[in-house]
Amino acid sequence: MTLELPVDLLFGLNLDLNLDLTRVMTANAIVLPVVLPLLAAFLMQPLAQVSRLLARLLGPLVLTLGAWIILNTWLEVGPAPFSVAIGGFAAPLGIVFYADQLALLFALAVQVFTLLFWPGLGVVAKAEAAADRQRAPRRDALALLLASAATGLALSGDLFNIFVFYELAAVASFGLVCADDSGRARIATLRYLFISAFGSVLALVGIAILYLQTGTLNLAQLAQVAPETLQGPIGLAAFALLLIGFGVKAELFPLNAWVPEVYATAPARVSALLAGLISKLAILVIVRLLILVFQQPEASQLLLVLGVLGVLTGEFSAWRAQDFPRLLAFSSIGQLGLVAIAFSIDGTTGLLAGTAVALHHLIVKSALFGLANRWSGGLDALAGAAKGAPRAAGLFVLFALSLIGVPPLWGFWIKLLIMVGLVQGGAPLDLLALGAILLATAVEAHYLFRVALRLYQPPVPDRALRLAPPARWDTGVAYLLGACLVVISVAITPTTEALRVLAQQTGDVLLYIDTVFPQPLADKE
Amino acid sequence: MIPWSLETVSYAGAIGLVVIGGLGLVICNHLFRMLLALAMAESGANLLLVLTGFRDGAIAPIIGYGPAGAPLVDPLPQVLVLTAIVIGVGVQALAVAVLVRVYRSYGTLDMRDLRRRMEGEIAAAAGIAAPGSAQAPLGQRPLPPVPDYELVRRSAPVRERGA
Repeated sequence: MTLELPVDLLFGLNLDLNLDLTRVMTANAIVLPVVLPLLAAFLMQPLAQVSRLLARLLGPLVLTLGAWIILNTWLEVGPAPFSVAIGGFAAPLGIVFYADQLALLFALAVQVFTLLFWPGLGVVAKAEAAADRQRAPRRDALALLLASAATGLALSGDLFNIFVFYELAAVASFGLVCADDSGRARIATLRYLFISAFGSVLALVGIAILYLQTGTLNLAQLAQVAPETLQGPIGLAAFALLLIGFGVKAELFPLNAWVPEVYATAPARVSALLAGLISKLAILVIVRLLILVFQQPEASQLLLVLGVLGVLTGEFSAWRAQDFPRLLAFSSIGQLGLVAIAFSIDGTTGLLAGTAVALHHLIVKSALFGLANRWSGGLDALAGAAKGAPRAAGLFVLFALSLIGVPPLWGFWIKLLIMVGLVQGGAPLDLLALGAILLATAVEAHYLFRVALRLYQPPVPDRALRLAPPARWDTGVAYLLGACLVVISVAITPTTEALRVLAQQTGDVLLYIDTVFPQPLADKE
Repeated sequence: MIPWSLETVSYAGAIGLVVIGGLGLVICNHLFRMLLALAMAESGANLLLVLTGFRDGAIAPIIGYGPAGAPLVDPLPQVLVLTAIVIGVGVQALAVAVLVRVYRSYGTLDMRDLRRRMEGEIAAAAGIAAPGSAQAPLGQRPLPPVPDYELVRRSAPVRERGA
């Protein structure tokens, strides 16, 4: 079903938040989680002049409202996907938002995780309060821009629109990384900016090739014409360019040199958002392209090769890392390689495994970066940290065990899914990937256990380093995410079944086309 | 045999610009040159995007311009390229702003130098040994102190080339 959004309703909602909420409960309201943070981001600065308290509350309020709207829409509209034509302009001409369960799930995750890792919540020491008050509105505005762009990435059904949201997310993240005014963060931002901007250039070239071959950038229409126009080397070249371009944010192999530097210099919560959330949305875009537009097996193989390289380089670099943030950063490169490998498996199995490993990494790595907020020193300095913060150390061990894939936890079932999928694929490349994953798991276990061991060692006396326990808010968030992990691990069967339904829906190309174009386009011509 | 039409040459030029820009980003160590290389790559991509709407002998897609019924070039890529240009300019402006701040704190725009300083600072903040290289064994060649921005500016006035 296509639900058209009348222009007056759109503008009415923009200007007046107190609109009758019953009208918001339609599927059209799904544009609000994109529009409202954008509006709030630009209102932030003037609002801060009037009332600082209101400006501080604005971000969390908007995100909570966004999460509520998405949940409500999901419950009202039900499991079937729907599309919304923005401004009432129908699909091939106008821009559509396509909301299936995967898109809604990630859009919801964006709101929830941005709220959990909101930069202004309960971290500021009293000494920094004055400087922070100056900076807070700007930083909050950037965080809202990031949330808006990320939600747009999850929902948009138009490739150029996706490109614009991707750039918006990039610019917001540049600002957030160097928000705390240190020289090293600025250098890292510059290097990140150059890599990211060049990736965008490559993606733009890929988009140009797609448009040249097909004459459209609407994903549903691309899916219709792709089997005739995008087979062969030109289509593959376009996919390679888009993969490398969007792969910058997804921390995929060739253009991920920015990852360790940025995560070592940025505020830990920003690292958590970039590593946990934004990378998953970039992967989501790549997966949509892979399913809808590039169905040739070579495209999946390319993703698989990049994934294997990412897993190997990431895990071995993490093994060599000397400090906690960079260890997490390299491990995140490795995990995202695993996500890429999972999505390259054919059919529903691949989508199921990929979605599961992406969600798992979202939960685990965000929580770990939250814990790293106060533990940002070298690994040796962590000795004895468990004494000061026994609960945080316990949570670290839980997350580490799940990352490695120790049986009762969710991480084990995910790795099992991926390995079964790879064995079923059976091609030499699949088996190579299988070997790489096993090797990487061993390496991962070694360095994570090494950190766990440090945490429980007696503190080194001559170093006399007083490690502050992680902030209460961060520990609370880690508790919440740890509880999520345990609940999912216990309820593994219903979770996997729900994800299987979701994966089947995502993999259904005809459903996507029929949802965006209610009558087949062929009839019109 | 490739026909050497205007279109082919333009396509080759656009892709060439992207390649030159990419090479410039890899080869150059001066941050401002890297920025120029990035701008070049971006204009290559934009040119390619405009070219996708090109039709031989067509006119600009404006209502009431040219004879009625004449073939028009595709207007969509032109709209897209406007967006792409604006995004590109925004990112470049942001890059210049950060670049100026970096120059004020470190007095240099040399990428290798800056990267070494960043690694050193990260290591110092984490309390671990800075990564060394074969040329400068650990602890034997400490990084020179960061020069004062005002001093750097006075001692090395901006010279116009050829002036």
